[in-house]
Amino acid sequence: MSPAAVLPRIISLGTAHPPRSYTQQDLLDLFGCDDELIRRFFTSSHIERRYLVLPEPLADGTMPDEDGTQLLAKHRRVSLEIGRQAIERCLESSPYSVSELDFFACVSSTGFLCPGLTAYLIESTGMRDNIHRADILGMGCNAGMNGILTTSQYAAANPRSPALLLACEVCSAAYVFDMTVRTGVVNSLFGDAAAAALVVADETLTAADGPQLLGFESLIVHAARDEMRFELEHGKFSFYLGWEVPYLIGEHIRTPVLRLLERFGLKRRDISHWIVHSGGKKVVDAIRYNLGLTEHDVRHTRSVLRNYGNISSASILFSLAELGREGVVCEGDWGVLIAMGPGVSIETGLLSW
Amino acid sequence: MKLETIRVDRADGVATITLNRPDQGNAINVIMVRELEQLCNRLEDGAADRVVVLRGAGDAFCSGIDLRDFPPDAKPDVRGFSRWERACRTLERLPMVTIAAIDGECAGGGLQLALTCDARVATERASFSLHEVRDGFLPGMGTFRLAKFIGLGRARFMGLTGRRIEAAEALRLGMVDRLTPVVDFDDAVRATIAEFGAIHPDAIELTRRLFDESFEIPYEDFVGCFLAAQHRAIQTDAFKDLVRRAHQLDVPRPKDD
Repeated sequence: MSPAAVLPRIISLGTAHPPRSYTQQDLLDLFGCDDELIRRFFTSSHIERRYLVLPEPLADGTMPDEDGTQLLAKHRRVSLEIGRQAIERCLESSPYSVSELDFFACVSSTGFLCPGLTAYLIESTGMRDNIHRADILGMGCNAGMNGILTTSQYAAANPRSPALLLACEVCSAAYVFDMTVRTGVVNSLFGDAAAAALVVADETLTAADGPQLLGFESLIVHAARDEMRFELEHGKFSFYLGWEVPYLIGEHIRTPVLRLLERFGLKRRDISHWIVHSGGKKVVDAIRYNLGLTEHDVRHTRSVLRNYGNISSASILFSLAELGREGVVCEGDWGVLIAMGPGVSIETGLLSW
Repeated sequence: MKLETIRVDRADGVATITLNRPDQGNAINVIMVRELEQLCNRLEDGAADRVVVLRGAGDAFCSGIDLRDFPPDAKPDVRGFSRWERACRTLERLPMVTIAAIDGECAGGGLQLALTCDARVATERASFSLHEVRDGFLPGMGTFRLAKFIGLGRARFMGLTGRRIEAAEALRLGMVDRLTPVVDFDDAVRATIAEFGAIHPDAIELTRRLFDESFEIPYEDFVGCFLAAQHRAIQTDAFKDLVRRAHQLDVPRPKDD
């Protein structure tokens, strides 16, 4: 009989964001927005501030128009900056040095570049030139989970080989704000941030080192595929978000979560920690009511939304880091990770400490 | 499941939980707390019952916590209270209708338990109190729940004096929903069950939760919660059938399980 497989653990997290943050009111003022409806989206979003990289206003006080080329360049520049910071912070609090990493996956949906971010970051952070790598592009907010899945599968298949995930989103490089309600909604929501997670399967690690990744369950709702998408407008990516998306996610959220729990013989009440993507107020409400979660269960989801906005694929790692900082997790606790995004896609994962 | 301090009888979709320590006024002890939570979890998982009725054995509903649970010469701690509240919360959030059927004394933790239910049916000889303050400790999460039923002023008066309230006054205050002579008690409980009519577990769970959260969430945020909950309710087969009937279309017959 072969010995039981060693499960991968997330043993360290690191987060970063650009230096400058804006309140919702700052942004309305900066873009000179006086449309009542759009102002309401901004002020009722449950977001206090977001970190963004915006150009300086012109002499007449208006915002310069950034063309597609400038936005792509900004994605690369900011990604490399905050990506490197997140990686360094993640490794600082781990027993591994950057040259010991064997696998590196990088997730982003807010810009396209070839060669991918991994090619730049391997050089700038000093990873080995024979590191295995994967760039996961264009999967949206749920991609943090797709990245965790990929990274943990590498780690599980290669015991004691440290694998690093970076979720890096420069949402201020993917915006069109033309004062329509559609772009107003989208622009009231997203922020820039990067988060790194170090995953390793090593039998000498314990719950004190970080949570084990036990399994994943995905759901893709084809009927709503076109409800969340990028469209190319005037050479820029403009995000389309259908009004019904939060409710559709709420309607389907039980399916993957209950399948995941059932596989491990668990009930919802067995889960002590819910790490839910900070998609926006409406979708968090929908998830809360459909899974029967309390405000306490989603406290980190709310605080990440309040302090950073929707930071797309990075947000669940931010929430997980907040949970770690809180210091309430006990050995034997179970946790569920939930991220949702275009597809429409719901990705879930089971953690245990 | 072997139970020592409570009894459960199940018939016609109704699970009757009887607090079963009649010699101690059905006082709540550590074992009862554990058994109550386990039983509620089992009822939730089974999803076979539409209604849960909670009552007391003998001539009391529940006289509160059993102080003999605290060891006489050890430093007391609050973990037991935490477990007790978790059991209350499990009962409060069951996806089925819950009815407290109260005869005799309903005091302290007993009243806390009754307040977690969807309805309270009491006999004319029932009495209610949160007496803990008189004894120098606190009336548990009754401090969270009672004022929502009877108003802040009355809750403070009742909880700070520890005074005993008779059934008729409890009805008037809104702590009790139906009053009945002792001889008609079982009929009154049955009538209350019948009053809940067709039971849609999703609709009950969501509506109850919205009512509860209405005290905590500002209007603007609450509207979002309501819409999320209503979206779930109108995706159910029950609602789809309702719409088909409104259009005078055939409704698919329910499958026999």
